[in-house]
Amino acid sequence: MDLHVPAGSAFGLIGPNGAGKTTFIKSVLGIVRPTAGTVRVLGGSPEDPAIRARIGYLPERLHLPGTWKSPAFLATVARLKGLKPDTAALARLLERVGLSDALDRRIGGYSKGMRQRLGLAAALLGDPALLVLDEPTDGIDPMGRLEVRRILQEEVQKGVTLFLNSHLLAETERVCDRVAILADGRVLREGRLEELAKAGARWRVRFAPGADRAALAAGGFAPVGGVREEGVYTVDAADVAVLNAALDRARACGALLMELKREGADLEAVLLGAVGGPGVAA
Amino acid sequence: MKSPVFVIAGYVLREAASRKFILAFMVGLTLVLATVALSLKLEVVDGALAATRLFGEVMRSNIMSVDVALRPVYRAAAYLVFYGGILFGIVACSDFAPGLLSPGRIEHLLALPLQRWHLLAGTFLGVMTLAVGGTVYAAGGLTLIFGVKAGYWTAGPLIAGGLACVGFAAVYAVMLTTATLVRSAALCSAAGFVLLVGGILAGFRADVSRYLEAGFGRTAFDAVTLVLPRLSSLANRAADLASATPLEKGSLGMLLGGVLVFGLGALSVGFWHFEGKDC
Repeated sequence: MDLHVPAGSAFGLIGPNGAGKTTFIKSVLGIVRPTAGTVRVLGGSPEDPAIRARIGYLPERLHLPGTWKSPAFLATVARLKGLKPDTAALARLLERVGLSDALDRRIGGYSKGMRQRLGLAAALLGDPALLVLDEPTDGIDPMGRLEVRRILQEEVQKGVTLFLNSHLLAETERVCDRVAILADGRVLREGRLEELAKAGARWRVRFAPGADRAALAAGGFAPVGGVREEGVYTVDAADVAVLNAALDRARACGALLMELKREGADLEAVLLGAVGGPGVAA
Repeated sequence: MKSPVFVIAGYVLREAASRKFILAFMVGLTLVLATVALSLKLEVVDGALAATRLFGEVMRSNIMSVDVALRPVYRAAAYLVFYGGILFGIVACSDFAPGLLSPGRIEHLLALPLQRWHLLAGTFLGVMTLAVGGTVYAAGGLTLIFGVKAGYWTAGPLIAGGLACVGFAAVYAVMLTTATLVRSAALCSAAGFVLLVGGILAGFRADVSRYLEAGFGRTAFDAVTLVLPRLSSLANRAADLASATPLEKGSLGMLLGGVLVFGLGALSVGFWHFEGKDC
């Protein structure tokens, strides 16, 4: 496989179970060695500790010492990253991931979501240039996911490169600007989300009930079938001017516009299209 | 900046401190030492032990010099520290390395800016710190009690404890190497037990070999025990030192050298294997 992740991008890796996503992540971190070829991370070898010092990693199933408390765990990770543990900074980091209320509790008593948050805090230690996160929101409740997404977006805005492996396609879609689809150890598709979703010249329009179907059809609007698709039409428009002209014609015949959306495949459809068939998971 | 080896050693010690049975062992040891300290009364007159009372009952009535009278006690204590310490170490420390190498933890550690050998060296250092600490506490406590009660001070038990730690180092080197091959605490402790038994037999290899029928069995026994550390011989030297019994010239140096070479060899295999392993 040949994959290039641009610096500063938010990159999502998706694919079916057993596609090799976690193995790929491990090879990026030097935990497993490629049988052939080379891996270069941040301009160097992943086996170089100086390079790994600039990477924050959250494994898929992080095993945490249950009898420890989170500040002690983070202090140890900080030392292993070659940093001097700063109690106030660690407390701020724990607050950022939403664990400020659990500082005095043993990690063994944490929920799965709290463990993930602590893992994320450990990954964020030392302001890494690259964040490699394997299922970062696994076990986190919807509100927590929102917080985690906000943290990740903040990091990306700061210029951090994000490499995300998540089975939650909606999350990948919301956080990442580039995506690669992996199957059987090969990259099937890779690129910007919009490119993969093949945003084309077709638009989806919803008019208020009572619109004249015949007049709309004459104006280039094709009705979408289905009971739940009442008032929904598609129209082909090569550019914005053509689209607006079509909408003007519709409004001229009394149709009231309620919703307008460019037709395009979502990430799930892209994944299914790439790996071929249902029953896949990221 | 602290070396990653020390940080990993601290990690292991912190894990150890949270283990209930290790804490129970330390509490038990303290209780034994306290019981001995409170219940034993030695009457010493002009450097001679006149009477010994345990829980108020007279145990010894014949008068002899303190150092001679305490020899069997120190000898027994040396054996207890040596074999008891190694046995406890095998059980108590068997899951430290498999725990650190377990899925979900090893990936996280290896993604941090440390070398793979740091992880094994730190684990080894942490476990040995634990072993030395426990030994110093047990042997030092005994030395202190008898020193205060009898006025006879000797470093013998501490030196014997040191030899026990050297013996345990060889055993733990094999356990650590086993952990790099299979992440199983049970197999690690089994490897430790096998080496302990093998090391005891190796100390008596000449005697045991005589009882085996000549042929493949005896040759195999001789070949296997040739490379094993002579743990029983080391325990005997530890007991001799604790009881101030003179040693044969050069015997201790050879023994220690053999045990250290074996331990370093076992560690080297573990380091080499772990260095090339995909986790």
